[in-house]
Amino acid sequence: MQKRNKYTEIEDFLSDESFQSWILFKIDEDGWEEWTLENRQRAKLVEDSRLLLLAMKVPDSTLSASDIHNALQNTWVKIEEKENHNDSVEDSKVKFFKKYLIRGVAAALVFGLVSIWFYENHFGPESKVVTYKELIDENSEGLVEQTNNSDKPQIITLSDGSSVLLQPNSKLSYPKIFTGNERKVYLSGEGFFEISKNPKKPFFVYANEIVTKVVGTSFRVKAYSDQPDVEVLVRTGKVKVRSNDLVAKSDEEVVLLPNQALRFVRSELSFNKITNITQDQTLTRNVGNIEQLSFEFTDIPVSQIFETIEQAYLVDIDYPKNKLKDCHLTTSLSDQPLTEKLKIVCNSIGNNTSFEMNGNQIIITSEGCN
Amino acid sequence: MNTKTLQFKNFDDITLWNNLKDGNEKSFSMLFEKYYGDLVNYGNSLSPYAEKVQDCVQDVFTDIWVYRNGLQSSVVVKAYLLSSVRKRIARLHERDHIFRKATSTDSIAFLLEFSVEHELIDDDYATKEKVVHLNKLLNDLPARQKEALYLRYHQGLTVEQIADMLDVNYQSASNLLHRGLLTLRKEWKGSISLIILLSSTAC
Repeated sequence: MQKRNKYTEIEDFLSDESFQSWILFKIDEDGWEEWTLENRQRAKLVEDSRLLLLAMKVPDSTLSASDIHNALQNTWVKIEEKENHNDSVEDSKVKFFKKYLIRGVAAALVFGLVSIWFYENHFGPESKVVTYKELIDENSEGLVEQTNNSDKPQIITLSDGSSVLLQPNSKLSYPKIFTGNERKVYLSGEGFFEISKNPKKPFFVYANEIVTKVVGTSFRVKAYSDQPDVEVLVRTGKVKVRSNDLVAKSDEEVVLLPNQALRFVRSELSFNKITNITQDQTLTRNVGNIEQLSFEFTDIPVSQIFETIEQAYLVDIDYPKNKLKDCHLTTSLSDQPLTEKLKIVCNSIGNNTSFEMNGNQIIITSEGCN
Repeated sequence: MNTKTLQFKNFDDITLWNNLKDGNEKSFSMLFEKYYGDLVNYGNSLSPYAEKVQDCVQDVFTDIWVYRNGLQSSVVVKAYLLSSVRKRIARLHERDHIFRKATSTDSIAFLLEFSVEHELIDDDYATKEKVVHLNKLLNDLPARQKEALYLRYHQGLTVEQIADMLDVNYQSASNLLHRGLLTLRKEWKGSISLIILLSSTAC
């Protein structure tokens, strides 16, 4: 702060950040006030600069955090469009050279196929177990990893509104924001997924050697790296399961409907479809809280709905109990991720009811129901 | 539950910029979140079409990501962004006015009106008067002088960066700034003494 002793012009003050924050925000970290009073001439200069700064206010940004978030999402869409466009321009350039290249490509293809055949037959079996770590390494986008080291299931909300109830000793890796035409997450352990519907962006769960594809539904995946099989159990909607390309290039796809399940035997790379889950001991034994609870509500007090949600997702919901004590709702929330459920409940209550989520704490603000 | 996210919070612009160049989506998002509001604000001061301004700012970021391999590694990120937004908007005007045979970057007018820092003036009446008067003088300055002042004192750009942005040499940029303040001071000297005179007779 020695440099200010040499200030002789208004300009010097105006461009000084510390001075700006003193005038505009009253944050006087560098003792401007005292410094000003030391010298009469200085005081005049400071006063002029101050007036000028006060007269030069620029309106603050009116964008909210969610505006900016939306703009960012929108930009990723633009990026994708542009990249696709650029690719097709490249393509047309390539066409010109194509005929010269075809022979080379054909040769390479034959060579490639032979090597794959050789590889599959000679080295295949040893590398057929895929670990979570390998899956993550395959993906270079910045992923966020959440690990549940506690002894209770924990809720994760993804950027598309989908929710995942992660069981103890499990972890999930996912991009902070889903970009591109696909939503991909990586699971080790067990999780119950409720996926927000978006047919244009299918959702994929990579777990050990299998890939589960859905567009919007709820299901459970159990894939511990130290267990001999992987299980997928569907509650609502429809999912497709296939093996990961890393282990086998097969087109075999198993379609699962509600209350159907699948057990994948890792050592054999085989799928066993289970159409009657009630007769399967292991599956029924492991049914989680969330799968047993009913989310069909007919004229039920809001407090009870919140209680059901609390039990299912192991969250705490804080709501104005008095204002909502006479509110009853009829609604079906079965096929919805957590944030959707909350949105629907809030909208049905009406009166500017809104929710805020912070980890497993949910706060509802409301003025009572209509 | 522990969340393992890379902590970029404390990284400066240039670190984020270079990570972005290497294809780090997170750094891209962070720069976006940091500057989007500011850039939209600046854009709005150059164009009355708020919707298009957001579009332009998003296009600037789109190009940064798509052509990230060609980006320079030593730039002043903020100046680069502001300047790109300005060029985008100029291009937009060019397209819109295609039949009127305009324009280059120097023909976009800086529309922003400076306002008075309301909450902060707990001073006496005379001071308020002065600030309001100064504000009027500021807003009467030619658009380019106003823009230079804005870039210098609100965005904290250096004179060199401003010269680059406005497509003029260093001396002209520094003149713009200087002349702006000079006009102000001249007019202001006269009026302030008048105000002082008035207020002292009022007592």
